[in-house]
Amino acid sequence: METIDTTSISKSDLKWQIEHNQEKCTLCGRCAAVCTMGAIKADVQKRRKVVSCGDFPTPQVSETTVPVIKQIVTSSKNCVGCELCAKVCPNEAIKPVFNEQNRMNVKYRALNAESPKRGGRTNLHTEGRTLDKIKIGRISQMTDPSLDAMRHTFELLAPFGRVLPPENLPFSVDEKGDLKIDRKIPSTRWIYPIIIGDMSIGALSPRLWEAICIAVAYLNEVHNLPIRMCTGEGGVPEKLLKSKYLKYMILQIASGHFGWNRIINSMPDMVEDPAGILIKIGQGAKPGDGGLLLSKKVEKHIQEIRGVPKSDLLSPPNHQGLYSIEESVQKMFLSMNAAFKFKVPVAIKVAASVTSVSVYNNLLRDPYDIVGGFFLDGIAGGTGAAHETSLDHTGHPIVSRLRDCYNAAVHQGKQGQIPLWAAGGLGMNGNLAADAFKMICLGANGVFTGRLMLQIAGCLGNDFGKCNACNTGLCPAGLTTQHPILMKRLDIDKVAQNIVNYFLATHTELKKLMAPIGNSTLPVGRSDALITVDKNVSERLGIQHVC
Amino acid sequence: MNTTIIDSLQDNKRLSTRELLDLIYEKIDLGFNEFKILASGQHDIGGPLWTKDGVPLVFHVTNPGQRVGSMGMKGTKIIVHGSAPADAGWLNSGAEITVLGDSGDTTAHCCASGKIYVGGRVGTRSGALMKHDPKFPEPEFWVLKNTGSFSFEFMGGGKAVVCGYGCENMTSVLSNRSCCGMVGGVVYVRGNVEGLTADVDIYPIDEDDKNFLLKGMKTFLDEINKPEIYDELTDFSQWKKILAKPYDKKKFVPPYSISEFRKTKWVKGGIFSEFFGSDNEVIELINTGENRLRIPSWDNNSKTPPCEFDCPVSIPTQKRLSLLREGKVQEALNLVYQYSPFPGSVCGQVCPNLCMQKCSRKMVDEPIKVAELGIKSFENIDLGEFKPTKNKTVAIIGAGVSGLSCAWNLLRLGYNVEIFEKDSEIGGKLRQVIPEERLNQDILNIELEILKSSILDSQSKIHTSYNVDMDEFIRLKDDYDAVVVAVGAQNPFVLPVEGKERIIKGLDFLKEINKGHKFSIGENVVVIGAGNAAMDVVLGAYKVGAKNVTAIDIQKPAAFEKEIEAAKALGAKILYPCFTEKVTPEGVYLKDGKLLKADSVVIAIGDRTDLSFMPDEFLNERKQPLLNDFNQSTMAENVFFAGDSIRQGLFCDGIGQGRGAALNINRFLTGAPLQKYQSNNKIQPNEVKECYYKTYRGTEISGLDTLDEKDRCLSCAGCRDCKMCLTSCPRGAIERVEFENSDGTKGFAYVSDEKKCIGCGICAGVCPCGIWTMKSQLI
Repeated sequence: METIDTTSISKSDLKWQIEHNQEKCTLCGRCAAVCTMGAIKADVQKRRKVVSCGDFPTPQVSETTVPVIKQIVTSSKNCVGCELCAKVCPNEAIKPVFNEQNRMNVKYRALNAESPKRGGRTNLHTEGRTLDKIKIGRISQMTDPSLDAMRHTFELLAPFGRVLPPENLPFSVDEKGDLKIDRKIPSTRWIYPIIIGDMSIGALSPRLWEAICIAVAYLNEVHNLPIRMCTGEGGVPEKLLKSKYLKYMILQIASGHFGWNRIINSMPDMVEDPAGILIKIGQGAKPGDGGLLLSKKVEKHIQEIRGVPKSDLLSPPNHQGLYSIEESVQKMFLSMNAAFKFKVPVAIKVAASVTSVSVYNNLLRDPYDIVGGFFLDGIAGGTGAAHETSLDHTGHPIVSRLRDCYNAAVHQGKQGQIPLWAAGGLGMNGNLAADAFKMICLGANGVFTGRLMLQIAGCLGNDFGKCNACNTGLCPAGLTTQHPILMKRLDIDKVAQNIVNYFLATHTELKKLMAPIGNSTLPVGRSDALITVDKNVSERLGIQHVC
Repeated sequence: MNTTIIDSLQDNKRLSTRELLDLIYEKIDLGFNEFKILASGQHDIGGPLWTKDGVPLVFHVTNPGQRVGSMGMKGTKIIVHGSAPADAGWLNSGAEITVLGDSGDTTAHCCASGKIYVGGRVGTRSGALMKHDPKFPEPEFWVLKNTGSFSFEFMGGGKAVVCGYGCENMTSVLSNRSCCGMVGGVVYVRGNVEGLTADVDIYPIDEDDKNFLLKGMKTFLDEINKPEIYDELTDFSQWKKILAKPYDKKKFVPPYSISEFRKTKWVKGGIFSEFFGSDNEVIELINTGENRLRIPSWDNNSKTPPCEFDCPVSIPTQKRLSLLREGKVQEALNLVYQYSPFPGSVCGQVCPNLCMQKCSRKMVDEPIKVAELGIKSFENIDLGEFKPTKNKTVAIIGAGVSGLSCAWNLLRLGYNVEIFEKDSEIGGKLRQVIPEERLNQDILNIELEILKSSILDSQSKIHTSYNVDMDEFIRLKDDYDAVVVAVGAQNPFVLPVEGKERIIKGLDFLKEINKGHKFSIGENVVVIGAGNAAMDVVLGAYKVGAKNVTAIDIQKPAAFEKEIEAAKALGAKILYPCFTEKVTPEGVYLKDGKLLKADSVVIAIGDRTDLSFMPDEFLNERKQPLLNDFNQSTMAENVFFAGDSIRQGLFCDGIGQGRGAALNINRFLTGAPLQKYQSNNKIQPNEVKECYYKTYRGTEISGLDTLDEKDRCLSCAGCRDCKMCLTSCPRGAIERVEFENSDGTKGFAYVSDEKKCIGCGICAGVCPCGIWTMKSQLI
């Protein structure tokens, strides 16, 4: 008999409880075979009855021992609710059920002396999503001509790179009357207003990472959608660096600087410039916390590409050597601009914060024309691994902060000069186009999205505590694992196709939203198109309050 | 024809649209059917109108407003002399409308029947949303020159003809982005066309088209009074037609699939091929072979059952019962002798049977009757001879249980031993101090006799009444291949209290009693200490006539329950916590001032070893031996220790250390690395499935024959060959195979076929003995 005491862990403490229907179960073993967490196992139980069948008390004992599927209860590794057991069960005999009464928040800490870690997003939904309270309420009807989303032409392009105001354009007319450019101007790329970013090799399985790359290339080459992808800070495979598809990739440099040795040494062999460079300062999902790749995921290829041994890889929460905004601009931007001879635009990503406007105001000075974009990442962004306390309790919603930054630029008359890109839970409800559109109307030039790609690729989790096992290396869908068996669960072609499909649908939807307000180009800052029934949202964002 | 003229300017005043239309209505009612209307921008002239007798209506209009001929019906003919503004022929439902000049935007918009002829150009979105209701004749829309942008948008039916007359220099006679969203109908066009949307395709015209154009063109040109250009416009080399893409081909079809893209255009082999090759195999969620998440392994006898683990001698009791299940009774009973020469005295009697403390059977009812099993082995002893094979001799100082155990095990390993015993008899404390109530002396004597004869028979020696001093120890160390120090603990601890000289040492007391000496210690006896030895003293005290015996201790008595109960059964009291202040002729005074009256006071709080015969460098400051983890002297590598000379313990501890010393001496002398004498791979309780077994009541168990314990044993970590795994495997992956061992005995194994097994772990889950383990391939 196992010892049971009230301080130890029991099934009733767990977040997910396995419900197993023994009547339906045939002990085919599929559930136990599929479970990557090792959260269930076969076991035996005794069934004992003492019955009396005669005309007077005639005790008879019936004892049988029956096989069962049993949940394994440990203090640290338990069922995460991915439901693969239910998926593979031929008889609907098993499923995990979320336990509202769970005590894991206390138990885990009390028993393990550890801060719980997981992937995913914030799981606390203490405030509703602001974007869901906003509608596109200015519909062009008899006031001005609307457009037809399906048949008319739209230009969905956003700048990545420094945009000079007309008065600063070094244009003049030569004696022949032709326009000439008097000095070099910053490199600016006009790309699709949605960037896939920035998930590292290491966080994602090689298959998923490659599937996203392929989807991006395919969207460009076949569908003419200039989608770009940010590599994340985990380095880039040499084969990609040396391929023509590098032009669709925005290289990331973060505090760990992982993989840059290979990038630099590949430069002579590059046939295309990368699409851009993104300096990552912070991440919305865990602002103030650095990268966290647990050693379970640091397999050989990761070790090589990143240049590290097998261990927990913690990127520092800040860039060593950068101590102020000015220094970030002058040193980091300058170096990264110089890396590709000023041909590749460089932007910076920070976690949204109450200080974002100060930072943006500072960047807006940009005397050297080297600041190619300001990426703001909100609290509802995703991550492969973080301390739960960071995920749930640190960060800043993206909407008002993006708006503030845009308004700050407007205040200076500099809107559009340093493009604003926003992220953090966009597409959380499945509709990225609507979120992106609203953010654009509030002042974003474009948005970036990461976690949504995982969901498109077959993520079994959600933002209500389901799965979120990205940090464990045991991703049941083969998305966030480096394990040679688990990653084989992912079909590159199918995942790439799903991502392509999602973008095609999103493209249609963006047009569907642009048409009614009569814009055939992106309505950056057209907050007059937005309305809300929420007075606070209305006041804070400066959009019309309706009821 | 009944003709009338309506001038929309009357007395220099313009009629409103309604006034003009009202006039037309009146005149139709009066029987007029031909109208000459001098309009001044009035809307909607010409429809929807009809006569009661079906006589056709004809309108000649100049200067109309928008929507001339809108909703016109069959039987209505409208000729606009000059140009018309927007929406001419809007929703035309059968009228024949001719605009001799140009026509504005959205001409023929939504027209569904009738004919519209324009002798000039038309504006943007003309022909948009034209459609054809099969109940009515197909609408026709003829344009002499060109159209504005977005013409024929969303067109669903009908025929449009754009002649491009005089537009030869234009880049597109349909301007830009025409036919956007077109789903049906046909647009014939002569001249350059570009900027069409992807909804349509351009085709050459065929014979039917030519016939239609030839016939229609004549009428059209007549209507617009330009019959002279007929030949020019019927040069079909310049004509083509625009049709909507068929519905199923409208969808953009990529030139290649993602898979083709990856294989033919993408980085060859994939961007990670340097690490993973180009293998893009996608596996199912359930797999066999190497893609299983967990792989079963039949690990028979690879873990230690609790009985073996908890026994200081590591006697594999599970294996004894397993042999019984296999019917190898004598082999089973002999097995214990490979470990200990005392199954009858120690296992069967004085041992607290630590092996059974965590016996898995306790999860069902009571542990295995291991003491009875010891006696059964003793009763059925059947040993062969030991032959010295090693030509090496080990000196053993002390012939207590640890020394004798060491000698016994060394003999089995083929060594010669030479035992040096201080006492006149071998057996140590087992013989000297254990009361006969606790230890059947006949059994002990037989076991000691077997030992003695085994030793002597194998040309080894026993020296009794032999005192080893320092010189002698040095000699032994130098002359023998190894020396085992097993001198036990013969110095009782005493308390440094007032009157301590009055206290009788328990060890001496027990030795005297066991020698059979009769003496009186009075009626009231206090025993200081309440451990097992103290309980033996209590028994001894009663034996020599004491009436009231009290054992006191400073803490909860350390004696085993069995010993305490035996003492209490005789009337003994056990008190704790009691701290002795002094001992006087009255008895024992405790620190709280209480007096325990006593005629005699005996102390039994433990004994110390006496290693004064060893040089100081072998000992620490507390005069205990300096040892490594293998009970080997750190000063001399051929000197090993066993039993109470290391620290005071149970008889089974001494036997275990004796055996451990023997095994390590063998390793030492054969050059093998030394090992600790205990397994660390204990099977976990939850690996053994107790629920397969029926719970017996106490009397049922006591009624069982000792050998029937084989059925109660849960066979921890040893396969009981029950076939639960083989029968339960949902894939039929497990087979039982038999083979011959190298020694000629038959063995069996269960094997799982990796081609069938999915790694579900049901074999492990149902295995009663914890044999199948699942090796995870995950992290």
